[in-house]
Amino acid sequence: MLLPALLILAAISLFPFFYIVWMSFHEVSLIGGVSFEWVGLENWTELFTDPNVRSSWIVSGVYFVATVGLEMVLGIIIALLVHELIWGKNLILSMLLLPMFVAPVIVGLLGRFLVDSTYGLYAWFLERTGLITWEILGSKGSALAAVVLMDVWEWTPLVTLIVLAGLASMPQAVLEAARVDGANYLQRLRHIVAPLISGVVVVALLIRSMDAIRYYDIISITTNGGPADATKVIPIRLYETAFRFQELGYAAAIGLGMLAFSILVANLFMRILKRQGLAR
Amino acid sequence: MASSRAHRGGNSAFGGISRRDFLRIGGAGLAGASLFGLAGCGESDSQSGGEGWKQYKGMTLNFISENTAPTSAIAANLKPFKDLTGIDVKINQLELGALVQKVSLDVSSGDPQIHVIYADPYQVLAPFSAAMADLNKFNEDDSLPSVQKGVGDFIPTQLAAAGRFEDEEALYALPYDCPTMIWMYRKDLFDKYGQQMQQDLGFDPMPSEQITWDQYFRIAQWFNENADEVSYGTGHQAKQYDSLMCDFSNILWSYGGDYFENGEQVGRIGTQEPGPAMLDQDGALEAAEFYNRLVGIAHPGSTSWDWTALDEAFRAGEVAMAPNWHEFAAGVESSDLGGKVAYERLPGGPTRSASMWGGTGIGINGELSEDEQRAAWLFLVWATSPETQLSGLKSDVGGGTPTRQSIYEESEVQQARQRPSDMPNILTYEAVSKAWDPENIGLRPKIEKWNECDTVIFTELSKMLAGDKSPEQAMQAAKEGFDQANGV
Repeated sequence: MLLPALLILAAISLFPFFYIVWMSFHEVSLIGGVSFEWVGLENWTELFTDPNVRSSWIVSGVYFVATVGLEMVLGIIIALLVHELIWGKNLILSMLLLPMFVAPVIVGLLGRFLVDSTYGLYAWFLERTGLITWEILGSKGSALAAVVLMDVWEWTPLVTLIVLAGLASMPQAVLEAARVDGANYLQRLRHIVAPLISGVVVVALLIRSMDAIRYYDIISITTNGGPADATKVIPIRLYETAFRFQELGYAAAIGLGMLAFSILVANLFMRILKRQGLAR
Repeated sequence: MASSRAHRGGNSAFGGISRRDFLRIGGAGLAGASLFGLAGCGESDSQSGGEGWKQYKGMTLNFISENTAPTSAIAANLKPFKDLTGIDVKINQLELGALVQKVSLDVSSGDPQIHVIYADPYQVLAPFSAAMADLNKFNEDDSLPSVQKGVGDFIPTQLAAAGRFEDEEALYALPYDCPTMIWMYRKDLFDKYGQQMQQDLGFDPMPSEQITWDQYFRIAQWFNENADEVSYGTGHQAKQYDSLMCDFSNILWSYGGDYFENGEQVGRIGTQEPGPAMLDQDGALEAAEFYNRLVGIAHPGSTSWDWTALDEAFRAGEVAMAPNWHEFAAGVESSDLGGKVAYERLPGGPTRSASMWGGTGIGINGELSEDEQRAAWLFLVWATSPETQLSGLKSDVGGGTPTRQSIYEESEVQQARQRPSDMPNILTYEAVSKAWDPENIGLRPKIEKWNECDTVIFTELSKMLAGDKSPEQAMQAAKEGFDQANGV
């Protein structure tokens, strides 16, 4: 009974996985059909000793913490504010969700246009007000900040949406009782709302974390990893290794490294959910 | 100047005409002379729609190309090819990086779908030459049309750079486009401030072959300090990208540096074994030091601009001058700056003036069946024919500039060198034709591992421009990266 489903799962998931593992132990040539040359642990040794890959992991780490952190904080704050609205809630929510429906590559293009020093509206405004007088995408710190903010702009609404769902499912009787007992907003937030929505917050965190690890589109369109490798996250390095340098075996090892990191992060969050009794 | 260049090109190209071309040209001449008394008049034999052209009627070809002006022009004008051959052509235009990815996957698939490949010499031809068909067999096949006017009609430096790899005989691609970096400058500003600049700087600043990079630097600095019309004197395509390598290479070569010891040969024909990199040598170090200073006084946007963004900034009046690709002239002439801009070969350095050539050829996927390759050959012959290149030059969607010498000798093309011109890219002819001379052309290394080396050099340069590394450290790291990539 389960066999057809297992076969489909194997075809679309397990076979590619084992194929990539196989590739990571080979040098792969594409000319005249794919061919493999056994190189043992060479690609894996390089993965752990390559300073370029190490620097990309560091950039990815900074990027990961900044984007996921900002998205969670802003998403929760916006959700709490929207939840308190008495009228116009649906309209506001619809407008807030719009960025989420834009393709990431379009967000990158939009961001690039807005911060371009020749015709960018944001660049013009920031320069006129004296807030930023240098080239935003041409300087290391501001380039990283810019791509982080583009991601935050696009995906904060997703966190808002998930948290709002959690807020909407809270038992109103408990909140009413707290209010009658004289608990102010902050007290209710800390002692009632936070514990009640912590499960969905962890889910939002899990979803955004998985996505942030494989972040590629916006950086590819805006900075291409520069300046001075300041925005070269690990997916950009992976793409470059696979499709620019044609080192598919080494790229497979990098990709498996990303997969291992994703599994670690997912396990961490699942453990938190289990501890809260929200997952089995 | 133009005719002397063409003359030299013609002589050197003669050796490249195949025995079959020679007999065909001679035979056609004799037959034409005896029958009509005028050799070469009327419709050319190879485009007359004979059986050779019709033999693959009903077939569909897939052409993958970078999104460039010549391909846009061809895409807008495919009907003549369909009428001539009965073959449909589907064109897929992509950004170059995506094209390289698709080609690599196609040639390894075992079931190739791409027939005609936009074969960037460095990112496609060098790494995938083994998967490209040698075009000589088609050109010498009596049952197929051959290249009109022979392959010797292509500009010799471009034929070698775009078409060959490691071998002076094998031909993998026909020259298709030829963007080349030249000096674009605001002539209106140079006219306005020329005398004042001359007094202040102590030399005639008007762009000419005599101007050096050092003088270019001083002119740029003068504009920074004295002209209100533009924000900065110079702008550069110094984003961490291929464009940064192109911009820097002009200066590298003019300062006597090079990527490899036999740079001319490695650039023109290419090699699998380029040997150790030379980026730690004096010429390269001086070039890096100068480039660092130059970008330091350039428009700050330079470090985030690729070639497109630089061109947009130039057209928007942000900078007075820039090393820019000559095929952007059409856009410049149709912008608010139309008529205010002039073009010159890039400045010289202690060794020479060098202009990066960024041209490409089109080739045939050698993994295809014989019939598919032969059908693709028909498209190659048509797409690079004088008629198609001239048509592209006049195209409303912009058509690059021809890679054939004979087209520049056409009277209507010569007339178009002066304003008003309905072929604005031809306004750059004086500058660009000098840049294509063997002693001036700048050819980056055509090696299998170029994509890695390219990434190494533009990344290290970006680190230098960001202040993370000194020019010496950047060049040393680049040398090590090159050597590692090439297994030296």
